Amino acid sequence: MNINKYPEVKPGRKPLKRIYLAIMLWTVGKAIPVAAKVDPEIKKEFEKLPKNFTLRLMVQPERAFPLFFYTKMLPGFVVKNGMLPYGLQMILHIDAQGKVHYQGADPRGKKFDLSMAFKNLEAAMMIFSFRESTPTGYAHDRFVVEGYLPCATTFMRVLDIVQVYLLPKIIAKRAVKRYPKWFEMPPWRKHINRIIIYLRAFTF
Amino acid sequence: MPLPSFYDFCCRVKTISGINTLEQIPSQLANMKAGRPMIISDKGVAATGLIQVVIQALGDQLQIGEVYDQVPVDSDYRVVDDAAKIYRTKGCDAIIAVGGGSVIDTAKGVNIVASLGGDTLLDYEGLGTVKRKLKPLVVVPTTAGTGSEMTLVAVIADPDRKIKMLFPSYFILPDLAVIDPRMTKTLPAALTASTAMDAMTHACEAYYCLEKNPLSDSFAFRAIQLISQHLLKVLQNPADLQGRLALANASAMAGIAFSNSMVGMVHNLGHTVGALCHVPHGVAMSIFLPYGLEYNLHRCADIIGELLFALAGPEIFAATPKSERPEKVVTFIRQMNQDLHTATTGKHPRCLKEVVDRNGAQLVSQSMLPAIAEAIMLDGARLTNPEEFLPTDALTVLSNAWEGSPLDLKKVNKGGSKVNY
Repeated sequence: MNINKYPEVKPGRKPLKRIYLAIMLWTVGKAIPVAAKVDPEIKKEFEKLPKNFTLRLMVQPERAFPLFFYTKMLPGFVVKNGMLPYGLQMILHIDAQGKVHYQGADPRGKKFDLSMAFKNLEAAMMIFSFRESTPTGYAHDRFVVEGYLPCATTFMRVLDIVQVYLLPKIIAKRAVKRYPKWFEMPPWRKHINRIIIYLRAFTF
Repeated sequence: MPLPSFYDFCCRVKTISGINTLEQIPSQLANMKAGRPMIISDKGVAATGLIQVVIQALGDQLQIGEVYDQVPVDSDYRVVDDAAKIYRTKGCDAIIAVGGGSVIDTAKGVNIVASLGGDTLLDYEGLGTVKRKLKPLVVVPTTAGTGSEMTLVAVIADPDRKIKMLFPSYFILPDLAVIDPRMTKTLPAALTASTAMDAMTHACEAYYCLEKNPLSDSFAFRAIQLISQHLLKVLQNPADLQGRLALANASAMAGIAFSNSMVGMVHNLGHTVGALCHVPHGVAMSIFLPYGLEYNLHRCADIIGELLFALAGPEIFAATPKSERPEKVVTFIRQMNQDLHTATTGKHPRCLKEVVDRNGAQLVSQSMLPAIAEAIMLDGARLTNPEEFLPTDALTVLSNAWEGSPLDLKKVNKGGSKVNY
């Protein structure tokens, strides 16, 4: 048998889970650049990463599903943002000035310095439905990291803080190892930043 | 006993252990269809005459292609490239690594370049680049602590970029680990103590950190037992070959355990003080281990309590109420450090302020602690620690570890009660 001609086994479509994950990745992707401006800790974490640095969070496999299937199922913004033919991805870029940009889900023409990939849809669902925290997901081998590991730890810390901002406490407590104490993130800072992140990320 | 919802475990290193096992290497290599090995080592090992012991043990049955003893303290990719070139020009067909962690990691790197081709190890940086079986690699550890003979990763520095590159692959696992107590017999008392505590830390962290799994647990538990039973005896009688063999076995078992279940904040702090202040790894491990146990007590007290059986034996375990076992484990490790300090006539430090270099100069000053605390965020080991570990937490731990005072458990930031494995 020629192994190169062996057909790729493709997973089931699971449209609701795909839509859910697409929305979650889009939401987190849009929130991170704003959070990097308003939260000093996230800003400090991004300063540790090199300039002109591109990273992505994705769900394997890439390009797993035919285009026609999505166009019928997903909202218009997903199509416009280029999420369609390349599966579920969230791409961020840190420019030469250290500013963080969300670059949608289209990997064409981009070179990734860091890529964190959930091994499959169900692994991503475990994390994004908050049944497992990110560190537990890491311990359970839910995702693979390609690139320099210290950068991945920095990015995972950013994800933790962004989740605290985006999610109500009852859910965020399940997503992070330790929900910030009042002296680590004072309530006024948390609520004001949360409003700013939601307003700036999703309005203009 | 918590059974994780998912885990993976792999260890396929053939291990031969016992007094005079070095003599088995030629027949083992013949089974792997190799007969012209290159010996890789460092100057320190060469100076102690251990390479000669290996060469004598190999006898006439093998033709040694080259003895390369230029491996530096921190393995470096340029040394790897240099050794790989020599490997090819001398027509070698296997590698025998004789040394500690740095030598073993260098040998793993040489094996990648020598087997897969190319001029430099840099071509194989990243995950998934080593895709097929490599040349036979035999590892003869000369310290009982690193466990590198059982791990699937090589850590090799790139001085140009000032980073340490990781080469993780199941294919770089050695084919054969040879545990012979003659190799550790001449290890000085302070090094014996710190390397054994390094193995103890591997085993303890593998037992309570987030990637804990039942297979790793078995290896970790037995490793802890062997170290606590034999370490002090070996320090009192350095020629005790059975004791040396037990420690070398414990190191290998702890290596299997942590290679499959990872480590936590003790290694996070150890790597950072190693990189910033050049504190030897084993020394850092022995200092931070009690703090790692204390810091995580509220998340996994029952798991840590189980370690008392391995550390102190069944009588003390049975006589101690369940609620007191976790604290007793911490006390036991602290007492062990104190005993090692006494047995090595003060050469084994108990706290950071006691760590000195060869000239007696202090390696970690109190003013460096905030910088160390900030740098912990770049190390992957913090991810698998049961409790969140951030710079503010690290500063608290470091301040206590510098003074040698126990942690105030009321001041530990607690993220929840029991951890889910």
